[in-house]
Amino acid sequence: MVPFLGLWGVFLAWPVAYGVYISLFDWNPLKGSKFVGLANYIQLFHEERFWNAFANTFKFAGMTIPLIIGLGFVFALMIWGWGRSRRGMALIQSVLFFPYLLTVSIVAITWKWLLDRDFGLLQHTLNRIFPSAPVFLTEPAWALPAIAFATAWWLAGYRMVVLQAGLEEIPRELFESAAIDGARARHQFLHIILPLIKPPLLFTLVLTIISAFRTFGQVLMMTEGGPGRSSEVLALYLYWVGFDYFQVGKAAAAGVVLLVLILILTLIGVRMLGLKSELQ
Amino acid sequence: MNWQKGLKRILPYLVMYGIAFLWVIPILWMADTAFKPEREIFHIPPKWIPSHFTLDHVRRLFSEWPFLRWLLNSLIVSTSVTLGSLIVSTLAAFSFARLKWRGRDVLFMILLVFMLLPWQVNVIPLFFTMTKFRFLNTYQGVALPMMAMPIGVFLLRQFFINIPQDLEDAARIDGCSSFGVLMRVIIPISRPVFAAFGVYMFNFAWNEFFWSMICLRKANMVTLPVGLKLLQGAFEIDYGLILAGAFVASLPSLAVFLILRKQIIRGFTLAGSGMKG
Repeated sequence: MVPFLGLWGVFLAWPVAYGVYISLFDWNPLKGSKFVGLANYIQLFHEERFWNAFANTFKFAGMTIPLIIGLGFVFALMIWGWGRSRRGMALIQSVLFFPYLLTVSIVAITWKWLLDRDFGLLQHTLNRIFPSAPVFLTEPAWALPAIAFATAWWLAGYRMVVLQAGLEEIPRELFESAAIDGARARHQFLHIILPLIKPPLLFTLVLTIISAFRTFGQVLMMTEGGPGRSSEVLALYLYWVGFDYFQVGKAAAAGVVLLVLILILTLIGVRMLGLKSELQ
Repeated sequence: MNWQKGLKRILPYLVMYGIAFLWVIPILWMADTAFKPEREIFHIPPKWIPSHFTLDHVRRLFSEWPFLRWLLNSLIVSTSVTLGSLIVSTLAAFSFARLKWRGRDVLFMILLVFMLLPWQVNVIPLFFTMTKFRFLNTYQGVALPMMAMPIGVFLLRQFFINIPQDLEDAARIDGCSSFGVLMRVIIPISRPVFAAFGVYMFNFAWNEFFWSMICLRKANMVTLPVGLKLLQGAFEIDYGLILAGAFVASLPSLAVFLILRKQIIRGFTLAGSGMKG
């Protein structure tokens, strides 16, 4: 118990409290810090760049969460419903899952290259098929969607695996008796699959929400927040402010905002998951 | 009539293999670029089959960059994170699951919330804490916060709680202390869950990017994910080198995945279903 609490206290719990503390100061470890109260927050809330990052974070989450979960669910249903030969399914499952094991830099490098405006394979192919296709990473409106798609390629496989395990747990007899009663595929989906898949589906949802809100590496390495600031998300904003401009107090304040945001979303998720009842 | 039936039968396979094929293209293209001569990388239209294969980019990776060192760093960090978090999480999970003390459930609830917080929230203060300890640019600096992640405590507690009380009672009658119960009863029967958590943790540490990038700033100390960032940052358009780096860096994951595919997928599923509670 003690070793864990020690580590956790020093490296995770304490910094959060410390972060709230820092956010109230004009922090400068060399010249001494000055208590400024909520000035950092006020400054933050008056900054257009912060709100831009804030909006981009939600935009990105709005695109990437349905993409990741939708693809993961469709893949899971596909393998579960159509899978006949074990080896073929194992192969398909592996291929769809494998990107998840790669680190974010590999994903970003690969997709940046696929979408390179002059020499990218995907960009070129799309331009061939649709002459009016956008140049993804250099057009402000299309940079975030492109990153969202790359993220889905990366993460959907894990959701697939979790959901597929959930589907396997549904007793097959349920479908047989439903078929005898003349239930159609759509009804089977709505009345058998959906209710029974709810727990893992909600779990993947919480997981995906959190990962969407902390997105950092893909954006840093694919666009650096550009073009302009069209793909700058909160995590990236915090990084620039804190480690590039050394406005530590302000970055800490942004961290607290992110904390509150994730806390709210998490509590909603925890309630939905019913983790609370499990504790008692 | 007949071909319609036939089509209906093979259509699912066409769709599934089609999607799988699309999914693997980025990886194939990455590998392809890594071994193409410079001139053919920047060729319009893009060319799949190069006139000849070249090891040029890979060679430069190892001669001009401390790529091996990065690999070693990653290995050291990931291994110590995995072992360290296994040890501390087991102890904590045991205490949460099998011992009774005041404030236990409240503390666990707090941990649960922390489990879901990302690095960005506490990275600035963490950075200062590490500066104070002089842990920046060290293995312990990058590894210790990862070991402290509550997810392992949560997963293992879940498993420990379901171990029958009878087993513990029997051991206690035979004179085991709490620690004895943990060592002789709990740990031996928890192997599968340790394996699952180990896989999860190793992969997490191996791929961790944000904190590693902030904590490790010397080119010699960085782990692979951050090293790739350095490659990309140094020569934005040297795609042969960058993609060779990405390709070589993904080989260990690929190799381990090919050997332990079943265990890895099962491990991740277990980690997932363990958390759903």
